[in-house]
Amino acid sequence: MQVVKLSLNKANKIPIEADTVTPDNFAGKTKEEIEAILVWYGNGQCPLGDFFTVEVEGSDSAENTKIVFEGNVSRVKRIGQGMSAGEIEINGNVDMHCGFAMKGGKIVINGDADSWLGCEMKDGEIILNGNASYYVGSGYRGESCGMRGGKITINGNARDYLGEHMCGGEILVTGNVGLLPAISNNGGTIVIEGNATMPASEMKNGTVIIKGEISDMLPSYKEDGTEEVEGVTYRKFVGDVNAGGKGMLLIK
Amino acid sequence: MRMSEILIKNANVCDPAQGINCETMDLCIRDGKIVESVSESAEVIDAAGRLTMAGGFDGHTHSAGKINVGRFMNPNDARRTLVPGLSGPEARTEKTRAQVGYNTPNTYAIGYRYAKLGYTTICEAAIPMLAARHTHEEFKEIPILDKMGLSLFGSNWQVMEYVRDKEPEKLAAYVAWGLKASRGYGVKIVNAGGGEAWGWGKNVSGLYDPVPNFDVTPAEILMGLAEANEKLQLPHSVHVHCNNLGKPGNYETTIETMKMFEKVKPTVDRQALHVTHVQFNAYAGTSWRDFETGAPMVADYLNGANHLTFDLGQVIFGPAVTMTADGPVEYANSRMLHEKWSNQDIELEDASGVVPLSYSPKSFINAVQWAIGIELALLVEDPWKIMFTTDSPNGGSFVNYPEAFTYLMSAKKREQVISGFGKMALDRMVLPGLDRELSFYELAIMTRSMQSKMYSRPEKGNLKVGSDADVAIYDIITSDIDPSVEHEKVKQAFSGAAYTLKDGNIVVKDGKIEATPMGRTYWVNAKVPADIDSAMNKDTDIKFKKYYTVSKSNYMVEDSYLPNPVEIRTEGAF
Repeated sequence: MQVVKLSLNKANKIPIEADTVTPDNFAGKTKEEIEAILVWYGNGQCPLGDFFTVEVEGSDSAENTKIVFEGNVSRVKRIGQGMSAGEIEINGNVDMHCGFAMKGGKIVINGDADSWLGCEMKDGEIILNGNASYYVGSGYRGESCGMRGGKITINGNARDYLGEHMCGGEILVTGNVGLLPAISNNGGTIVIEGNATMPASEMKNGTVIIKGEISDMLPSYKEDGTEEVEGVTYRKFVGDVNAGGKGMLLIK
Repeated sequence: MRMSEILIKNANVCDPAQGINCETMDLCIRDGKIVESVSESAEVIDAAGRLTMAGGFDGHTHSAGKINVGRFMNPNDARRTLVPGLSGPEARTEKTRAQVGYNTPNTYAIGYRYAKLGYTTICEAAIPMLAARHTHEEFKEIPILDKMGLSLFGSNWQVMEYVRDKEPEKLAAYVAWGLKASRGYGVKIVNAGGGEAWGWGKNVSGLYDPVPNFDVTPAEILMGLAEANEKLQLPHSVHVHCNNLGKPGNYETTIETMKMFEKVKPTVDRQALHVTHVQFNAYAGTSWRDFETGAPMVADYLNGANHLTFDLGQVIFGPAVTMTADGPVEYANSRMLHEKWSNQDIELEDASGVVPLSYSPKSFINAVQWAIGIELALLVEDPWKIMFTTDSPNGGSFVNYPEAFTYLMSAKKREQVISGFGKMALDRMVLPGLDRELSFYELAIMTRSMQSKMYSRPEKGNLKVGSDADVAIYDIITSDIDPSVEHEKVKQAFSGAAYTLKDGNIVVKDGKIEATPMGRTYWVNAKVPADIDSAMNKDTDIKFKKYYTVSKSNYMVEDSYLPNPVEIRTEGAF
């Protein structure tokens, strides 16, 4: 087991793009080697050691590597981008694009996450013990497929466009979500335990379960009997008819 | 920066304009022009027997203007890296600006990447006159290349009124004024009348279907504009995107349009008609179910006709972005493919639409489309009638030209692609039975030489003494290579020129950008008798007062938009 602890020396105003901070990249590296890893800062690259105090215990492969951020990293973006194994724990708030396109491993955030959490994620797991911002598990701008696999659990609320263009995988939100969750999605499962507004618009495929209240239910869904999931009976809607969709929207 | 003298030694020159077919010789350059000889002090480039051609000339590409709509509809295109070295994000260097994109690259990338392919001149295929400023603003930011653009006249109210009222002289005056207003090089007609019909949610169904509210037919618009084009003695013929584009069975309309132009007498030594991206207009069948190639019929007609040129509009498998003034076609595309759709109304002038799509070899329709482009190139015997294009990025991005060249030069390469097609696709094409393979000489004709005559730019597309010193040297020893077998090598060589020279400046060396000089913009100033001009202006004044959202004085593209203009004056035959 290798544990790498990163503590931000001083809160930064200009964002740091930390797409090199992954267990894949840290595995087997010494403190000095990790400090020398470059991250983008503004329009130039700087070594990680310029911003963080790095502590390393042990040396191991990526799947046995854990990176722990102590405190807020609310201006550090792209943590865990493309990671395939291992674990990242963030004990504070994190900036945008955390877990972007991750392929495996686990990210646990004990704080809030900014937009684009887990977007274009392929596999692995993200657990957010806090609130998420916009576009959780969605696609890159203009792309027709967002999250394809893996699981995102949000123990809190999420804002608008949750799971936009999602094609696979699973998102669970224990709190409320904002506008248009599951917009244009084409697969996967989204479970929202709280409330939602205008869910599943232009949905082509996939399943959306909303256990709380719905505001502004869209008219372009066909009611099609009921469906039982884990012992609970829901009203079943199929659509979005406007998009020729065959998605399933389950509501109370 | 300009070197005054350059000697290119041991160049294996392929210059069809002079009938030179891969002969090793020296080329002399002084002050940006090809000359007979240079002094001892000339800088020497050793071509070492490699294939040397004039700079490429893409006479139909969407590289400035509408492409910008494609950019903002497809932000994801910025990160596409499908063609290594010619697509995707690239950080700035000391010599180049940052680059992104594939189908819709940023302006700088367009200049650099064309230059890497050995191209030095491009013609933007559609300038909506009302938005011409934008086109020229993009031209300004496309480095290296010489540029020109074709202005859209095919659904223009003033044009249609003059055609209806049988006022050919005023029509010619209006075309001359429009070219000046938009700083355009020639007359583009897209789905004649269809752009106006689209304003009413309709289309025209063929050459003789009247345009709503104007009482003119597409045939009359085409003939009227052709007459005006010849009256003004414009350097290029009318450039026509036929009616019914993209519809099964449209090859009949295409041939009918071509036939109609047999009676047009060009007043300049060039074709009477250029039909563009014929691949999209050579479809047989009656619906998408029985859709099949119409290329043999179109090629058959083209082989017997000498009054016209055409370009391919070759399809490249993978993502593309269709962009055209043919508004109704784009609506149909977006509905059929469930794709994003952008639609614009150019007030009194035309329509426009943009739809991204992806061509897949698994789709029998796409496979047949792919085959039709190549069939046209192989079935039409005379390469001087054919311009190579992908209608970039409609059929696919220009960065795929080297790949597409191998389709034309190697039957083996074609077999490789065709082996992935289903039976249904194979039944609907004639390509598998064609074994013709084009030579470097024929390829040079289609990519640079024929453009010279087609656009009346004698200084372009050839290496004659006095021509612009735009030269491409490719890492190919023609005597040692069999393009039929070694197609991968051919592709690689055309993907990054060993040298590209623009006006005698080395702009590309070993596939890397060396210098980024500013290219020229060509535009046509056609002379019109003063009395006809003022009569026409009275009519357009009314249009601006009553209908346009801009005033006439603000409509004209000013000189400041063209930092390096070349004004081509024509006398006119009134």
